[in-house]
Amino acid sequence: MNQIPGRRRDWIQWGFVGPALLLLIAMNVFPLIYSIVLSFTNADLVGGEWKFVGGLNYKFIFKFAKYGQALRTTALFVLLAVSAELVLGFGLALALLERFRGKTLVLTALMVPMMLPQAVIALFWKLVLNGNYGIFNQLLAGLGFRQPQWITDPDLKLLSVLLVDVWMWTPFMMLISLAALNAIPGYIYEAAAIDRASRWRIFRRITLPMCTPLLGLAVLLRATDALKQFDLVMAITGPNDPATQTLSALLYQAVFRDGKVGLGTAYSYVILVLVIALASIFLRYMDSLQAQQEEVAR
Amino acid sequence: MKRCIMMLLATVVMAQGVFAQEKSITIWWAQWDPAVALQELGDEFTEQTGIGVEVHQIPWLSYQDQVFLNFGNKQTDFDIVIGDSQWIGRGATKGLYLELTDWLPGAVDMQTIHPRAARYLCEYPPGSSKFFAAPCETDAIGFVYRKDWFEDPDEKAAFKTKYGRELMVPETWEEFRDIAEFFQRPAQKRYGCSLLTGRGYDSIVMGFQPFLWAWGGAWGDPETFKVQGHLNSAGAVAGLDFFKGLMHFTPEGGTNADYFFNLEAFSNGSTAMVLDYFPFYPGIVATMGDQAGFFKVPSHNGQRFISLGGQGFSISTKTTPEKQALAKQFIAWFSQTEIQKKWITYPGSFTANTELLSSEAFAAASPYNTTFAESLDDLQDFWNVPVYNELIAASVRHLGAALDGTVASADALNALAQEHEMIMMEAGLLEMK
Repeated sequence: MNQIPGRRRDWIQWGFVGPALLLLIAMNVFPLIYSIVLSFTNADLVGGEWKFVGGLNYKFIFKFAKYGQALRTTALFVLLAVSAELVLGFGLALALLERFRGKTLVLTALMVPMMLPQAVIALFWKLVLNGNYGIFNQLLAGLGFRQPQWITDPDLKLLSVLLVDVWMWTPFMMLISLAALNAIPGYIYEAAAIDRASRWRIFRRITLPMCTPLLGLAVLLRATDALKQFDLVMAITGPNDPATQTLSALLYQAVFRDGKVGLGTAYSYVILVLVIALASIFLRYMDSLQAQQEEVAR
Repeated sequence: MKRCIMMLLATVVMAQGVFAQEKSITIWWAQWDPAVALQELGDEFTEQTGIGVEVHQIPWLSYQDQVFLNFGNKQTDFDIVIGDSQWIGRGATKGLYLELTDWLPGAVDMQTIHPRAARYLCEYPPGSSKFFAAPCETDAIGFVYRKDWFEDPDEKAAFKTKYGRELMVPETWEEFRDIAEFFQRPAQKRYGCSLLTGRGYDSIVMGFQPFLWAWGGAWGDPETFKVQGHLNSAGAVAGLDFFKGLMHFTPEGGTNADYFFNLEAFSNGSTAMVLDYFPFYPGIVATMGDQAGFFKVPSHNGQRFISLGGQGFSISTKTTPEKQALAKQFIAWFSQTEIQKKWITYPGSFTANTELLSSEAFAAASPYNTTFAESLDDLQDFWNVPVYNELIAASVRHLGAALDGTVASADALNALAQEHEMIMMEAGLLEMK
C-alpha cells in the first residue's frame, strides 16, 4: 500500500477539516468574540459610531434593580412552571399507562397544545383571560364567582402566564414520562409483587428511581426552554411589565426598543455565566444520581 | 418579425415600469384612519406629478420596533417615516433623520404652523429652530363623554342634590372627580371614567402628564436634565395621588387601560368619561352619534396641560438623494393650505395650520374639532431626548406600581426620578456622579 507523504497528508487533512472549521469560526467563534467586544461599547441598534465605555454596561446591570428583578422573575417562572409540568405530566402518564379504549384519541388530544406555535397560543389565551370579555370570566360570572383581572392585576399576571405555559408544556412532560414508564421491564414489578411490596413502595423504590434519568433530561430540556420564555410574555403582558418581565423580555426591551446593543450584550453574558453555573450543578447532580443507580444495580 | 416587435414592446413596457418605480416614494406610518387618508392624498399627488406614493401601514404595537430595526440597515425601506414626537431626538442625534433646517422654512410657511406643533413635532432640541421633521398629524388627548347622561333631567337633578351645582362638562379636575364619582355604579355596570394607564408603550405616561404638570411637577429641567426635585416634588406626588384616586371610578381593569381599552369602555356604553387621542374618535362618532360629546382636559388651580400626540414627516438619511428630493416635493405639496383643507376633511386627520384650525369649516367638520383646536395652546410633550424609550419604560414600571398600589406615590416618584437620572447619566446628558 502506497504511503501518502507527510506534507501532502497534512494538506488533505486540512482540506477535510478546514471548511467545517471556517464555518465554525464564522458562525460561532467570531460572533462570540465580537459580542464580547460589543458588551464594552455603547453600540446602538440603528448603527452609527460607537465607542468603548469600559465596564459601564456591567456597572449599570448591577446598579439597576430591574435586571436583578428580571432574573428573579425568570427563576420563579422556571421553578413553578417546570415543577407543575413535571408533577402534572407524570401524573397524567401514570393515569394513561394502562391500555383502555380510546387511549390514542386521548393522547392525541392532550398533545395538541404543544404542537401549536407559542405566539398563537398566547394570543388565544389573552382573549380567553381578558378581564372584561374573556370567556373564562364569563364562565366564572355564570357560576356566581368573582371575576379577576387575570392579565392586568399585578398579583395575577405571572400566574396567568404560568397557567398558559403549564397548559402548553404538560403534554411534553407526559410524553417523556410515558416513555420512561414503558421502559421499566415488567419482571421487576413481578419480583416486587412476589415480595409483596406495597403499591406506594413499588412507586417509590422502583418506578420513580427508574424514571429519574429520563425525567431529569425532560426537566433540563424544559428548564432550558422556560429560561428563554419570551413569546407568552410578549403577547400577554408585553416586554416591559415588571411582574412578568423575564430575561428574554428585558433583553428585547433593551436591544430592540431602547436600541442598547452594548448593554444588551453585556446582560447576555451575565446571564450566560449564571446559566452555565446552574447547568453544571444540575448535570453533576444527574451524574451522581446515575452513579448511585449503577451502584445499586451492581 | 412579429416576435421581435412583441419583445421590443415588452421591453419598453418593462422599462416604463422601472422608471415609474424610480419616481416614487414610500412612507411608513402606523395603521389607522389618517394613514388611509394620506394614501388617498398621495394618489392625488401622483396624478398631479407622476410621482408614486405608497403609504405602508404597520400596526401600532410593532410600529416603533419595525422602524428602528429598519434604520439599522444600510438603506431604509422607506423614504419618509411619520415618527412619534418623542422619536425626533433619537432620529436627529443618531443621524437617521435628514436635517431640514435650511429647506423647511422656504418650502413651508412656518408662520401658519401652530407654535406648539412646530416646537414638539419638528424641532430638536425643542425651540432650537433646527428642523428634522415637518408637521403631518397634529394630535392631542381629550375627553369623550356621554352627552345623553349629562343631559338626562333625572341625572341632573340627582347631581344637583348631591353636589349643589349643575351637572355639566368639568372645567377642573376636582369637578371631574365629582362627576366620575357620581356616575360610578358598578352594580349597574356603569362607570365614572377611564383614563390612560396602560403599560404597553406610553399610555400611562400620557395619562399622568396632565396631573404632573397641573400640580406643579415636571419630568425634569430641560436645560440641565436634572430630574430630582422636579419629578419627585411635593406637587408631583400630589398630582399622582389625585390621578391614583380617580382609579376608584374606573371600570374593572381601569388601572391598566390603554388607548384601545378606553375606546372599548366608551363604545360598550358603560363609561361616562373616557380619555383618548382625538384621531381615535371618528369611530365613536360614527357608532354613537349625538350620545357622545367632547371636552378639553380639565385644569387644576388654573393650570391646564395636555399631552401632545401626533407625528411629523421625517426624511430618512438612508435613502438616495433623488428619493430625498421627491420626499421634500411631497411634503411641500402636502403642507400647502389648499391640501391641508382637504386633509382635515378625512376622519381623524388633524392639521397644525392655524388659519384652518380657527376656521368655521374646521369647527363644523366634526363634533370634536372645536375641542381639539382649543386644546392645542395647552400642549406639552414628554422628553424627546435619544433615550426617550428608556425613560418611558421606567415611567411605565414605577407609575404602574403606584397605580397598582404596590408602592406609595412618593416612593414610586423617588425611585423613578433616580432611575431617570441614571438613564440621563448613561446617555451623557447629565454628569455622572
